[in-house]
Amino acid sequence: MGTGFVHGNGSSAQAALAAVLANPAIWRGRDCAPEPAALATGFGALDAALPGRGWPRAALTEIVLEREGIGEVRLTLPALATLQRDAAQRKRDVVWIAPPYTPYAPALAAAGVDLARLFVVQCATPQEALWAYEQALRAAECGAAFAWLATDDARALRRLAVAAREGRTFGVLWRRPGVAARAATAALRLRLAPADGRLAVHVDKRRGGELAQPLVVDVDRAHAHRAGLAILPRTASRPAPADAPSLPFPTAPAQWAASA
Amino acid sequence: MAVLLPALPLEVFAPGVARDAAQAAGAGAPAAPFAVVTGDPQPVVLAPNRAAHAAGVRRGQRLSAALALAPAITFVVRDTAREAAALAAVATFVLRFTPHVSLVRPAALVADLAASLRLFGGFTRLAQGLADGIAARGLTARHAYAPTPLGALALARARHTAPVFDTATLWPLLAALPLAHFDADPAACELLAGSGITTYGEALALPREGLARRCGPAFVELLDRANGRVADPREPYVPPPEFSTRLPLPVPVHDTGALHFVARRALNELADWLLARGLGVLRLELVLAHERYTHVRTGIPATTVALAFGGPTRTLGHLDSVLRERLVRVELPAPVETLTLVTRATAALPARDFGFLPGDDAVPTTAPLVDRLRARLGEGSVLRVAALAEHRPERAMKSDAGAAAPVTAPATPAAASPPGAAALAAADGLTARTRLKKPAADPLPASTPSLPRPLWLLPVPAPVSALRAATLAARRGAAERIESGWWDGHDVRRDYHRVVTPNGSELWVYRTHRRGIDDGDWYVHGLFG
Repeated sequence: MGTGFVHGNGSSAQAALAAVLANPAIWRGRDCAPEPAALATGFGALDAALPGRGWPRAALTEIVLEREGIGEVRLTLPALATLQRDAAQRKRDVVWIAPPYTPYAPALAAAGVDLARLFVVQCATPQEALWAYEQALRAAECGAAFAWLATDDARALRRLAVAAREGRTFGVLWRRPGVAARAATAALRLRLAPADGRLAVHVDKRRGGELAQPLVVDVDRAHAHRAGLAILPRTASRPAPADAPSLPFPTAPAQWAASA
Repeated sequence: MAVLLPALPLEVFAPGVARDAAQAAGAGAPAAPFAVVTGDPQPVVLAPNRAAHAAGVRRGQRLSAALALAPAITFVVRDTAREAAALAAVATFVLRFTPHVSLVRPAALVADLAASLRLFGGFTRLAQGLADGIAARGLTARHAYAPTPLGALALARARHTAPVFDTATLWPLLAALPLAHFDADPAACELLAGSGITTYGEALALPREGLARRCGPAFVELLDRANGRVADPREPYVPPPEFSTRLPLPVPVHDTGALHFVARRALNELADWLLARGLGVLRLELVLAHERYTHVRTGIPATTVALAFGGPTRTLGHLDSVLRERLVRVELPAPVETLTLVTRATAALPARDFGFLPGDDAVPTTAPLVDRLRARLGEGSVLRVAALAEHRPERAMKSDAGAAAPVTAPATPAAASPPGAAALAAADGLTARTRLKKPAADPLPASTPSLPRPLWLLPVPAPVSALRAATLAARRGAAERIESGWWDGHDVRRDYHRVVTPNGSELWVYRTHRRGIDDGDWYVHGLFG
């Protein structure tokens, strides 16, 4: 379209068009918002789908999942390991607020996480957890802050989003489904589901165009950052019989379970 | 440079006395008259406040005379201990600018600033910093700057506050000052006054031999010290090795917010002291005394608020934010009347190096976030996890609230298979056989490949019902046998499997051994998060 008005050779017209489109004020529907300091996820397919090719380093990310144990944390561990090794950064501490179970140190160490820079915060009430999370997001030395919160309070979520932006912290808020219908204050919202031994990542919201298809990620096959660390072998899983009884899924702490 | 605190006897009392007087005079009175008096058998007025001065109360008057002039006046006996403490606090603050500070009791100090001018950005900024700092401590100060300490002191007493930088300017100024400003022997001053000699210049013009014979050689040397002909060595002020400050509150306080406001003053002193001694504080104690109650009525003991820090620190902002979060949790049984701040543990904290480039500050060595979280949520709320070299999964990690970074090396993955274990993979579906024969928990070679471990561990393994155990058995993959711990009474013999449940979660389950293999109970131990 429009080429009919341009008399001359096509390549110079394209160059002129490219020059116009390079103007940062021009935004096209399929573009993603610029994310200058994204944190590579370690998974090529996921990087390609996220603005700036990585986790937003100064924003809140919501990750929605039905239940634990589908590889959700392993999706974020390569990024944490990268963050903690980045000597140029001052913000290298990682804080986990109110995780639903005990984080198991040998697995974290095997994934390359520096345990000396990982702090696990246990809170007695949801208010304390909210307070602690905001403090962590704003802290100068905290590079990533994860929280397992059951809050639905839009104002609190907005506050957390602002804290993550101002504190320039990679914040992940783990949530239960049921919030998907509500407007997200976070910059990025992912929905995770198991997909035949791998992990299907639905990008529900990102700063950019819509993404219709879920990405399928093998969370045990992160690339690049783990030089010298063995990549864990994955045991084959057998297909499930359709009418198998549901297994005794351990009950989660009340505040986390109460979100649904 | 000399700092004179002319109103010190009055100012150590100012808030408390002002409150009592205001209550006595009723609301709306601008400032009730009060005066600090000596505690002798025949007390006289030492320092009247502004209102008392306006009423005609003067220094040296009898109390009866003062009462006649201002019937509403309040008297307070002078507290020299508090004056000395206030002077020491100012001296500690001035140590921030120079290592050479010495006290001139009761209410002055001298300091050598010549070597510090460049470091603090020139004379004007240094003098401003000093004046602001002393004013922020609620004290009226008169500053004077001269090439000799005695000269500066005399100028401060003579209210000459314009700085003097060279001896040529100093001499004519000193010549006009009375001898009393130079801390001279009063007997000698009286002797000379009898001959009509009252100023420094007149005394200096006298023949020195005769002066030394009549007034003593020390008097002549004093004159020479003032104008810089001989050196004036002074005993340097050294801050005390332990810090403890006690602040009586002007009114009993119920509210921890108001308490925090007062405690800031104590923290300010603490920060000065830490900087002067090159220390950082590790543990602090704030003792809140409910005095009236303790002594007379109910016997409520003092409330003690302990503060602990992740690493040695002396940043005022850090101390203050931790104190604020900690005070939120304090419940006061009775109003607080006195607040005492004591250091319980300190550690050397070297000064921070600045970077060469702007914005290239050195990384702060402390972790204020962790301290703030601990202060608000409790000591055990912030945990650090560490991996241990141990085969039993529940013992392969520890989590504790270890304070100051005992940095655990990224631990060797526990329960790693011994080399060649894969070759042992037997027909019963075991991929590895882990048998530890000796009780030593040596660090395992880091190069050994580890079997996958779940990211979430259940605190207590959850038993699985018989019906569902059948499903588990049908869906299990290869096993990892962990058999260890017979020596310490926590014997473990288990076959671990990774199982994907129908709803997609991946669990780490194990089956115990009863008599042989494949005959025990099933438990869920973790989730592959």
